[in-house]
Amino acid sequence: MPASSPRPAQERQGLLFILPALLPFLVFVLYPAFYIFYASLFAWDGVNQAVFVLFDNYIRMFTSDAAFWLALRNAVYWAFLTIFPQMFLGFLIALVLTSGIPFQTFFRAVFYVPAIVSPVVIGIVWQRIYNPFGGLLSDAGLATGFGFLMTPFLADTKIAIFSVIVVNVWQWTGFSMLLYIAGLQEIPDEILDSAKVEGADTWQTIRHIVWPMLKHVHLTLILLGIIGTLQTFPLVYIMTGGGPNHATETLPNYIFLQAFKLQSMGYASALSVVLLLLALGLSLFQVRVLGARFSLVR
Amino acid sequence: MMNKSLLTTSTFLAAVGIFGQLAPAAGADQTVTFRSWSPIVETTEKMIAATEAAHPGIKIESQIFNYPDYIVDLQTRATGGSVPDLIGLEPGALTQQYRDFLAPAQDCAASVWGDDWQSKFFPLAVDQLRLGNPDGDENYYGLPVLTQTINLWYTIPVLEDAGLEPPKTYDELKVLAETVGPAGTAPLMVGATDGWLRRDVYMQLIHNVAPGLIYEAELGQANFTDAPFVEAMTWWKRLFDDQIIQPGALGLSAYPGSMELIEAGRAALFPMGAWWQQQATRPNPPPLSKGLSGFAPVRFPDVTGKGEPPEDLLGGIDVMIGITKDAKDPEAACKVLTDWIGGAGAQELINTFNDLPAFIGLTPASFETENQKAVWDLFTEEWLPTVKYARQLRDPAVKQGLEDALAAVAAGDKTPEEGMQMVQDAYDSISK
Repeated sequence: MPASSPRPAQERQGLLFILPALLPFLVFVLYPAFYIFYASLFAWDGVNQAVFVLFDNYIRMFTSDAAFWLALRNAVYWAFLTIFPQMFLGFLIALVLTSGIPFQTFFRAVFYVPAIVSPVVIGIVWQRIYNPFGGLLSDAGLATGFGFLMTPFLADTKIAIFSVIVVNVWQWTGFSMLLYIAGLQEIPDEILDSAKVEGADTWQTIRHIVWPMLKHVHLTLILLGIIGTLQTFPLVYIMTGGGPNHATETLPNYIFLQAFKLQSMGYASALSVVLLLLALGLSLFQVRVLGARFSLVR
Repeated sequence: MMNKSLLTTSTFLAAVGIFGQLAPAAGADQTVTFRSWSPIVETTEKMIAATEAAHPGIKIESQIFNYPDYIVDLQTRATGGSVPDLIGLEPGALTQQYRDFLAPAQDCAASVWGDDWQSKFFPLAVDQLRLGNPDGDENYYGLPVLTQTINLWYTIPVLEDAGLEPPKTYDELKVLAETVGPAGTAPLMVGATDGWLRRDVYMQLIHNVAPGLIYEAELGQANFTDAPFVEAMTWWKRLFDDQIIQPGALGLSAYPGSMELIEAGRAALFPMGAWWQQQATRPNPPPLSKGLSGFAPVRFPDVTGKGEPPEDLLGGIDVMIGITKDAKDPEAACKVLTDWIGGAGAQELINTFNDLPAFIGLTPASFETENQKAVWDLFTEEWLPTVKYARQLRDPAVKQGLEDALAAVAAGDKTPEEGMQMVQDAYDSISK
């Protein structure tokens, strides 16, 4: 017997049920997305009359804007050099802090603290730590003779982005740790006991049982990491302002610069469209290739 | 042309959330609304109290932001049709961006100070008000509240201990670097993460090499790649190569990074403007800032070999305020604005040493030290009246191009010639 289609009344009821979610989506997601695309077709300072320029903003972006390409390059660096080190370090710390060592609750809190501190505060503090003139690292370098500690970490255009990335990893590793601890605590003891009975050593247990069973946490962290990469703003804004000479530029920072400092809202909108497409593309890739099963709880 | 209703709708949601904050207080005859990034909140509150006392029946509601947030707020309100009665402005690009929202302010000024109202202000304060006005537009779209010079400061005990006078030439600057540098003091402490500070130093160098030329280049009457600009950029690079500017300067912010090191006595010289005086009025200032006893201003040393820095300094309007066309009561807004420029509110503002007054004749109610008074007198009696050229450039894209070029040259990524080409490219991109 063929399945009967829902009756119109049921359809209307269904629509009513999804309306509370649909309306905010239309107003806060779809409309702004359409609007920034529309604005990206204009030369506009954000206040006065705009001039229609069709795709000129996009042509300029892809053909003559070195800062845009630097921001894209930095997004790639940021994604690979924050997501995976944070996952790896977070996992290691989680393993240690679920092994029953003394004061493990205290240490969990200590490692998690940076994640709840404002990026503005972290940016200011780390700028001082990195400062080669009177900063913590340079003073330590002077005291110990380790000259590399006196490197101008944020002033050298070749290493500035990596210096900021290190701070980001430092800030968010505790968050990864927390998720891994939650995941580890979900793994049934019976499975780990069985592995022990079968003669698996610690490394084999981690490699073949624990790590695969935390797949949902890995996927969650990758998703959050990608979102974080595309949203990177306050830490860079405070530590370097995107400099020197755009060496640490990120797309959100560059959009802010264009929109509000350089009075180029049309161009900033075009940058936003690219950022949006990038986010959509990466999200789809993740869902299709890695699977959509990301959640803290399996 | 972009559909205005679309713009309005787009900002509606953002705007509705904050409309309520500006609702008139019950019982007040007139409410004047004010938004700005300057003066700071504490100072603005004192000014409001003084002005409300001087003008019974007027209530002032203000909101002070940090600068980036203010720009976002102002832009949102402008597109949403909810600009406040009074808005903080900078001369040049910012004022020009909001020109269509602003009422000409000269009638307000004339109504209070007479037809020769301009004579009540320091010349630079009036000169720069119309920066960027279209040809033929003689209106003043705001009135100046605070002015400033840009210059260097020196730390008095550091130079005393080194047995040196403030440098007047580049050679003396090098001697200073060789003397204080090895002791762990920055000869010239620059928080060069901030583009405005890099630009301030370059503006003083180009003013030294070729006074006035950069303003001609802004109008297309000279090229940014001309020899004097490259020479000034070369001097900028030498400041790093000769270790006059401290190592890693590009990774240190002006505030709070360099400020803290300066107040800790780690700098012999530093490039701040007249606004540095306000360090003395912060709560519990460090010993060097207390009563401004440890600091004194000095002109940027001569780099041309003439032996003396130029007589005049660069400077301009720190903050000006405009009355918007939609002001609910323009007369009340005018009273508030003029009181903040030359009345009871202005006196409260000047008492904080926030910067220099635009209005001639205002003096802080008290000075903590002789040095503080000497510095004030130097600024207001000798330096401010001589300011001929602006600290600011007209176009934000050229400003950004120059700031990027200065960072690239300082980092060694570009030569001075390539750096100035970057600036010319920025100029060409806007003049197309």
